[in-house]
Amino acid sequence: MLADLAGLLPGPLSHLFFIKALMAAILVGLVCGVTGCLVILRKMSFLGDAISHAMIAGVAAGYLIMKLLFGMEAHAPAMLFGALIAAVITVGLIHFVSSVSRIKEDTAIGIMYTGIFALGVVMVSLFREHIHIDLMHFIMGDVLAVSDGDILLAAFVCGMVLTLILLFFRHFQASAFDPVMAAAIGIPAGLFHGLLTLCVSLVVVVGVGMVGVILVVGLLITPAATAYLLTNRLDRMMILAALFAINGAVCGLFLAYAMDVAGGGAIMLFLTLQFTAVLMIAPEHGILTRYIRKIRHIPAEITEDILAGLLRKDPMGLSPAALIETAGTGVRLGRALARLEKEGQITRQTDLVRLSPKGREKALTLRRSHRIWESYLAHAGVDEEKIHEKAHELEHIHDPDLLKNLDDLLGHPMTDPHGSEIPQDPCLHKKGVLFSASLLRPGQQAIIRRVPEFLREKLKENMPLFLKARDRAGEQWECILPSGERLILDHAAADALVVEMDEKSCQTEFS
Amino acid sequence: MVRSSSFSPSLPPAGAAMDNLLPAIRTRHLTVSYGLRPALLDVNLDIPKGTLVGILGPNGAGKSTLIKALMGFVKKDVGRVEIMGEPAEKAKGRMAYVPQRSSVDWDFPITVEEVALMGRYGRIPWYRNPGKKDREAALKALRAVRMEDFGQRQIGALSGGQQQRVFMARALCQGADILLLDEPFAGVDAVTEKAILTVLKEAREQGLTLVVVHHDLATAASYFDRIALIKRGLVAFGRPEDVLQKELLSEVYGGQMQNFFTLPSINPKP
Repeated sequence: MLADLAGLLPGPLSHLFFIKALMAAILVGLVCGVTGCLVILRKMSFLGDAISHAMIAGVAAGYLIMKLLFGMEAHAPAMLFGALIAAVITVGLIHFVSSVSRIKEDTAIGIMYTGIFALGVVMVSLFREHIHIDLMHFIMGDVLAVSDGDILLAAFVCGMVLTLILLFFRHFQASAFDPVMAAAIGIPAGLFHGLLTLCVSLVVVVGVGMVGVILVVGLLITPAATAYLLTNRLDRMMILAALFAINGAVCGLFLAYAMDVAGGGAIMLFLTLQFTAVLMIAPEHGILTRYIRKIRHIPAEITEDILAGLLRKDPMGLSPAALIETAGTGVRLGRALARLEKEGQITRQTDLVRLSPKGREKALTLRRSHRIWESYLAHAGVDEEKIHEKAHELEHIHDPDLLKNLDDLLGHPMTDPHGSEIPQDPCLHKKGVLFSASLLRPGQQAIIRRVPEFLREKLKENMPLFLKARDRAGEQWECILPSGERLILDHAAADALVVEMDEKSCQTEFS
Repeated sequence: MVRSSSFSPSLPPAGAAMDNLLPAIRTRHLTVSYGLRPALLDVNLDIPKGTLVGILGPNGAGKSTLIKALMGFVKKDVGRVEIMGEPAEKAKGRMAYVPQRSSVDWDFPITVEEVALMGRYGRIPWYRNPGKKDREAALKALRAVRMEDFGQRQIGALSGGQQQRVFMARALCQGADILLLDEPFAGVDAVTEKAILTVLKEAREQGLTLVVVHHDLATAASYFDRIALIKRGLVAFGRPEDVLQKELLSEVYGGQMQNFFTLPSINPKP
């Protein structure tokens, strides 16, 4: 019936063998795609490869036993059963070797599967009078020569494996994602690992008939890996992997027919091209996206250097061209300026970039950071000539707490080693901000908010405090009280006294 | 405070625990070895219900092993573990475990919501799919840890602290009475640490018992109701002020202690 139908169709579809190949390829692709998802997530790719190679020993053994015991030539069920047994034995041996010795699993896989593959090859050549297996056929596969039996087997395996995976989806998901937790809620991880290994063995056995020993692992993992790049959910990954696998199988077959090349090779080649294309353009995990994200990213150093550059020319501002040196390439500069403008840190007129009040505050913080770092480096004994350069790198590390601690460690210096003023933290001038009196600069007036025990005699809360001077070494804070009395605070006392800035009378002295 | 020694012939009788209630977790002579080396030796511990307990000790002292032994992940040589008065083997569903961050594949294709939903897997029979009730429970747990807005994100796309909170949500919707957490504060910033601590304390207010492996002596006192100090065996168990004694700590930490007593301080606070 199928033959009659085929005769009516155009092109390669008019050949019965092609339709059969197509059916087998779709079935195998479907099951490979879905199973492959679990295989790559459990990092079992190499194991899949091992199973496919080890099979040959089982196939040869099955062939030999049926031939010698019952005189049957190429008994398919026996060879299939032998393949499965060989797969299970290989997995068992791998597990045994890696658990009883210090040999790691990947090495154990390598040892065991080559060993058992070699056993198969030796068996086939030793009993070459009895076993008529074409090794080349086994290794390369021949999808265009599938038999009805192969299709039935593929359908059976496909149905069984898919049913298992759908039925126990959650169990497979949980034991692949977090085996410890899965065990804790009573999912027998060992059982499901074994079940998955069995599924993989079945899938590999039917896959080998189509694309051969070498390519079957690609059929298993490539569509799954392609899907992995596109989604963040396991169920969608499985659906996508199945679609990719089927697409690859169908397109590959047409390609093979059109160019008259080996079917297995054409299918795998198409799958690999498909993967490469997705790797390039995948929206989230693709190479192109990563590249675009990377060039769009503007490091904080660049925007901060622009702000610092503008502060030096404040309030005149600078032309964008003058900033090119700071920000590197022009494209980057454009993006950096756009971002700063969006954040409200700068204002732009046709040919002039200026700091906004917000940007000025940020720039002052950066200058403060730079000069505190310079003081710290000098304090730590760094060579004077290198100080500026190093501070330029370090100024981008300006975590407020860090700067506060450094400033305190240095005894709240007012000037850096080059004699330039270290700007005060701009935050201190905001209403409601409480800070230590040690941060006041000469000429500033503040309101006392909290008084430590040992200063209670002289100072009260809400009393104004005027800082007249710091002595040259910076170790004393000379204050003047409203009564006109002079009060000298040392570092610890100035730290302990909490004040709020009095902006109104900031620049005027008591009369 | 119970000062535990390897030879403790007279154990406190049952009912001697706080409020005359059965302890949430009770271990007797719990001993676990890896190979020939005992990792835990004769641990006798009574953790009262509704407390937030910190497990402290130097590296390799057996903190994680204790948690794993309570969960039944490692085989115990001798001793027993009782959960709410029942043998641990019978009380599997009553304990939930929040793993150390490193034990999970962060590239796994799974969303935050699905991870939380996983907490319900233990109570759904194998032939049924998660229902509406299960999804609601997962969402509620995500709200409890304030991660409800991230439901559709892939788990690896979150920060370390957020991931930690999602795993706590998963444990919460398991409906367990006891939560065991392995180093939840490892590798998170100070703000996240506060957020996680808040979730822990809220869980305690709901009556849960929480056992937390912790490594930071400096914060332990303010975080926990009880502290178990471990070095292979249980050295001390009790209120923080009783356990965090210089003498006990130097016994446990030995040379490592210097760092704790001479914390570098460049900013003497008023």
